[in-house]
Amino acid sequence: MAVEDSQPTRDRAGAPPAHGQRVAEDLLDTDEDPQQVDREVALQSLNQWQLAWRRFRKHRMAFVGLGILIFLVAVVIVVPIFQPFNFLNIPGSPRPGGEPPRLDRIFGTTYEGRDVFTLVANGGRVSLVVGLMSMVIAGSIGVVVGSIAGFMGGMIDNILMRIVDVFFAIPFLFVILVAARFFGRGDVLSLVLIIGLLSWPLIARLVRASFLSLREADFVDAARAVGVSNMRIAFRHILPNALSPVIVACTLLVANAIVLEAFVSFLGFGIRETEVSWGNALANAQEGIRFGNWWWAFFPGMAIALTVLSINFIGDGLRDALDPRSRD
Amino acid sequence: MLAYIVRRVLQALPVLFLIAVLSFGLMQLAPGGPHQQFQQNPRMTDEMVNRYLARWCLERNPDALGMLRSFGGWFGVWNCDAGGFLSEQGMPNFLPNFLGGGDNGVIHGDFGLSMTVSPNRPVIDLITERIPATAILMLTAFTIWVTLAIILGVIAAVRRYSVFDQSITLMSYIFYSLPTFWLGLMLIYLFAVNLGVLPSSGMLSVRTAPAPFNTPRFWEVFWENPLPLVQDIARHLVLPVITLVAVSVAADTRYVRSAMLDVLGQDYVRTARAKGLPPSRVVFRHAFRNALLPIITNVALALAFLFSGAIVTETIFAWPGMGRLYFEAIQARDYFLVMGVLFVGSLLVVMMNLLADVLYAWADPRIRY
Amino acid sequence: MTTTLERPSASPERPADLLLSVHDLRTYFHVMDGTVKAVDGVNFSIRRGETLGIVGESGCGKSVTALTIMRLLDMPPAEIPTGSILFEDRDLLTLPDNEMRKIRGNEIAMIFQEPMTSLNPVFTIGHQISEAVRQHLKVSKKEAVDRAIESLRLVGISFPERRVKQYPHEMSGGMRQRVMIAMALSCEPKLLIADEPTTALDVTIQAQILELIKRIQADTGTALMLITHDLGVVAEMVHDVVVMYAGRVVEEGTVDEVLLQPKHPYTEGLLSSIPSKGLRGSRLNVIKGTVPNPFNMPVGCNFQPRCPYAFEPCPEHDPRIEEGGGPPVACWLWKRAPGHDIPQGLHDAQVAAARQAAAAKAGGVSGAVPTELRGEEIAS
Repeated sequence: MAVEDSQPTRDRAGAPPAHGQRVAEDLLDTDEDPQQVDREVALQSLNQWQLAWRRFRKHRMAFVGLGILIFLVAVVIVVPIFQPFNFLNIPGSPRPGGEPPRLDRIFGTTYEGRDVFTLVANGGRVSLVVGLMSMVIAGSIGVVVGSIAGFMGGMIDNILMRIVDVFFAIPFLFVILVAARFFGRGDVLSLVLIIGLLSWPLIARLVRASFLSLREADFVDAARAVGVSNMRIAFRHILPNALSPVIVACTLLVANAIVLEAFVSFLGFGIRETEVSWGNALANAQEGIRFGNWWWAFFPGMAIALTVLSINFIGDGLRDALDPRSRD
Repeated sequence: MLAYIVRRVLQALPVLFLIAVLSFGLMQLAPGGPHQQFQQNPRMTDEMVNRYLARWCLERNPDALGMLRSFGGWFGVWNCDAGGFLSEQGMPNFLPNFLGGGDNGVIHGDFGLSMTVSPNRPVIDLITERIPATAILMLTAFTIWVTLAIILGVIAAVRRYSVFDQSITLMSYIFYSLPTFWLGLMLIYLFAVNLGVLPSSGMLSVRTAPAPFNTPRFWEVFWENPLPLVQDIARHLVLPVITLVAVSVAADTRYVRSAMLDVLGQDYVRTARAKGLPPSRVVFRHAFRNALLPIITNVALALAFLFSGAIVTETIFAWPGMGRLYFEAIQARDYFLVMGVLFVGSLLVVMMNLLADVLYAWADPRIRY
Repeated sequence: MTTTLERPSASPERPADLLLSVHDLRTYFHVMDGTVKAVDGVNFSIRRGETLGIVGESGCGKSVTALTIMRLLDMPPAEIPTGSILFEDRDLLTLPDNEMRKIRGNEIAMIFQEPMTSLNPVFTIGHQISEAVRQHLKVSKKEAVDRAIESLRLVGISFPERRVKQYPHEMSGGMRQRVMIAMALSCEPKLLIADEPTTALDVTIQAQILELIKRIQADTGTALMLITHDLGVVAEMVHDVVVMYAGRVVEEGTVDEVLLQPKHPYTEGLLSSIPSKGLRGSRLNVIKGTVPNPFNMPVGCNFQPRCPYAFEPCPEHDPRIEEGGGPPVACWLWKRAPGHDIPQGLHDAQVAAARQAAAAKAGGVSGAVPTELRGEEIAS
C-alpha cells in the first residue's frame, strides 16, 4: 500500500514539530477510498424546502387530505360547466318535500325540485372562492403589518400591537356578523373583504413573533456586518424563515373562512339570493328538516366538513414538515 | 399577587376604551345608522326623542362634533342634559353616581334603550335577563367538554401510538372539522324529527313552563315545584350541549395530548422515574401538573370564546340567551342593543383573559409578580 | 514485543463482593430508518464500593448503557435482545416492573447531565427529595423532610432548612446538581450512576462537584459508575476504566493501565488528541474520519476504517474482548483472530509491519506516546 508522506508542519517559530508528536493528517487521507469516506461522512445536502417536502410526503394523512381536496375542487370546477341544465331552472318535481337520493339524483332534490348535487357543486365554487380570497387578503395584510411591527420594534410595534389587541378582545363572530349585516351587500366581494379584513390580526401576530425571535439570530448580524440594508434583511433574510408558521396558519384560515361564510350566509347575512353557496343552501334547507328532508341539509354540510377536514390534514402535514420540532 | 392583578386590570382599561370606540364607530359608519333610524322610526314619539337627546346626545342630524358628543354621552363622560363634562351634581360626569357623577352611559352601566327588539326597554335589562340562560348552556357544555378532553388527552398521551390513541386522534380530526351549526341541524333531524325523543328547540316546553325562563312568574312556580321544570330544561339542554361538546372536545383533546407529550419528554419526568416512583405518580403528579400550565391557558381562552359559540347554538336551537339576543338585534338593526351586547361580550373576553393570566401565575411558581 | 497479552489474573475476590455484573448487553433501537445498535455486546462489572469510569465520545452508547441498567428506556423503540445485568445475584432485565421500581432510586440511583432541567419546576426541592425517601423507606412525612435536610447538608448546601422550601429555579446550576446528588443519595443506594454530571457546568463548579462526589463515595462506600467523555475527569475520579466505541467496549483496565499504557488504537487516539501545554504551537491531533453511520456499522472491527494500524484480519473478524481470560483490548494487534489461520510468526510479523506503517504515517513515531510526555499531559 503506497504511503504518501504528508509534510510535517512547522510551528510558528519555524522549528520542526516536537519529537513524539503525531502530526495531524488531512481528514480525507489520500490513500483511503474516497467513496467510502464520502459515504461515511457526507450527508445529502437539500435546501430547506426540499427537506420540508420530504417530511410532508411521509405524512399519510396530509396526502389523503390533499387528495380529497383536489377531488372536491375538480368536482366544483367541472360539474357546473357540464351540467345539463341550469340548476336554477330545473323543472319542478311534484312532491312537496323533495325527492330523497336515488340513482339518477344522487343527493336528492329540494322541495322546489332542485337537484342537491348540482346545488353542492355550484355552491362549492362560491364557498371555496370566499375561503381562498379571504386568506389571500388576510395573509397579505397580516404579513406586511407583522413584519413591520416585528422588525421595527419600538413605538411602531407598540401602536400596531395595541390595534391587534383590540381585534383580539372583541369576539370574532360578533364583529363578523355585525360587519356582514351592516356593511355587506350580499355578494361574494363584500364577504371576502369582511372576512379578510377582520382575520389579518391573527397572521400579523404570528409574523411579528417570528420576526422578534429571528431578529436576534446570528445570521441577521452576519448580514448586517456585510452591509446588507435593513429592508433587504427583513424581506430576503428573515421573512423566508418566518414564513413557516404563517403558511400553516393561512392554510387553516381557509378552512375557517369557509365555515364562517357558511354560518353567516346561513343566518341570512352573507351571500344572499344572487348566488348559491353552501351556507346559503343550508339556510334554506333548515325548513326542509321539519318535513323530514335531511339530504338537503346533509350534503352541503358534508361537503363543508370534508373540505375542512382535508384542509386540516394538509395543515397538520405542513406543520410537521416545516417545523420538525413540533409534536404530532 | 394583588399588585399583579391590579396592574393587569389597569392595563386592560385602555383596551376596553378602544373597544367602546370601535363598537360605537362601527355603528355610526353603518349605512342607515342610528341617527337615521332615529329619524325614520315611526314608533318614536316626541317624548322619546327628547329623552334620547337628553341622555345620550342623539340628535337628528349630527355634525362631527355632534358625533363626538354622542360618543361621550353613550360612553358616560359627557353630560348631555346640561352639555358639559360635569354632571348635574357638579362633579366630573364619569365618576360613579354615588360619588357625584352622572348616571348615563356605559361607565355607569347604562347601554341605552332598545329601539326595535323591545322598544323602550333598557338594553342592560335585556342583557341581564338573557345571561342566565346562556350561562346554563355554556357552563354545562364547558364543564363536560373540558373534563372529557383532559381525561382523553392524558390517556392518549400516555398510551401514545396505541389503538386508543390513534382512534382518538382520528375522531378528533373528524369532529373538529364538522361545522357546529350543521351538526346541530343533523342532531335535530335525528333526535327530534325522526326519533322524536328530544325537543328540537327552545329552553322550556310550553306545556310544562308557565312563563319564559327568568321571568318573575317563572321563578314563582319554580320555587314551589322545581323538579319538573329542571327536568324540562335538562331535556332541552341535551342536543345543544352534545353539539357544543362534540366539536370542542375534539380540539381540546388534541391540545391536552400535545401538552402532555411535551411534558412527558422532559428531563424531570425521567428523573422522577429514576427515583423509582410508580408510573401513576409520575404521570399525574409530575407530568400532568406541568402540562396543566398550558392547559390552563387554553381552557381560559376557550372561556373567552364561549360567547361566540353561544351565538351558533342559540340560533339553531332557539335558546333564549345572549347569543340569540345578539342575532335578533342585528337582524332588527337595533343599534343600541348591538353596541351593548358587543361591549359586554368584549368585556367578558377581557375578563377571561385576565383570569387566564392570573390562574397561570398562581399555578407556575416560576412567575414572579 | 509480544502480541498477545493475558489479562492479569483476577484478584481472589469473594463473589459476594460483586455488586453489578453486566454480561453481553445489547440495546437496539428500532426507528423509521432502520435499527441502531446503540449497545452491542458490552461486558463489565463493579464491585462493592469500587469506582468504574465509562469513557467514550458522544454517541458511543455509554448513556444508553446506564439507562438500560436502570431500565429507563421506552421499550417499543428500544429492545434488549440479549444480555443480563446481575445486581447482587438478580438479573435486572428479568425483574417485573414493581420489583425494578424498588431498586431504582433505592439501591441504584442515577444523576443526569443537565441539572437545569432535571428537577421538576413546580415542586419544592424538599418535596422532591422527601418524595424519593417516602417512596422507598417507610417513614413519616416529617422524618422524610428531616432526611432531606440532612442530605442537603451532606452535599454541602448551606442553610438546608431554608433551601428545602425553595424551588429549583431559585438555584444555580451547580447547586441544582448538588440537589440531584442529595436526592440520589437520600435512600443510601449501593450504586450511584453519574451520567456526565459536570459536562453542563462551569469549570470551577465542575471541580467542586467532582470533589463532592469523590468525598461522598469515600465516606459512604457507595459504588460509583461515572460516565464521561473527559479523560481528565476519569483520571481523577475512578479506579477502573472501560473505553467504549460505537456501542462496544474496546479496552478495559485500571486507570493507570489504560491511560498510561493504552493498547487500543482508539484509546491512543483519544489520549494523543488532548491539547497539552507542553506542545504549543503545533497542530492538534485528530482521529481521522468520523464515527460510523449507526445504521451501517463496518463489518469486523468497527474502528477499522479509521484505524492507522488496520491490517489483514481487521475488516473481517470482530475482535471483541472475551470474558474470562484473553487480553482486555478489542484489537487484533494483541491477540489472534480465530478464523485467521496463519502461523504465529507470520502474525507477529504482520503486527510489526502494521505498527511500522502507522508510525511512518505519523512521521517517525512509534505507536505509543512515550511515558514522560504522557505523565505530563495527565498531570496538567
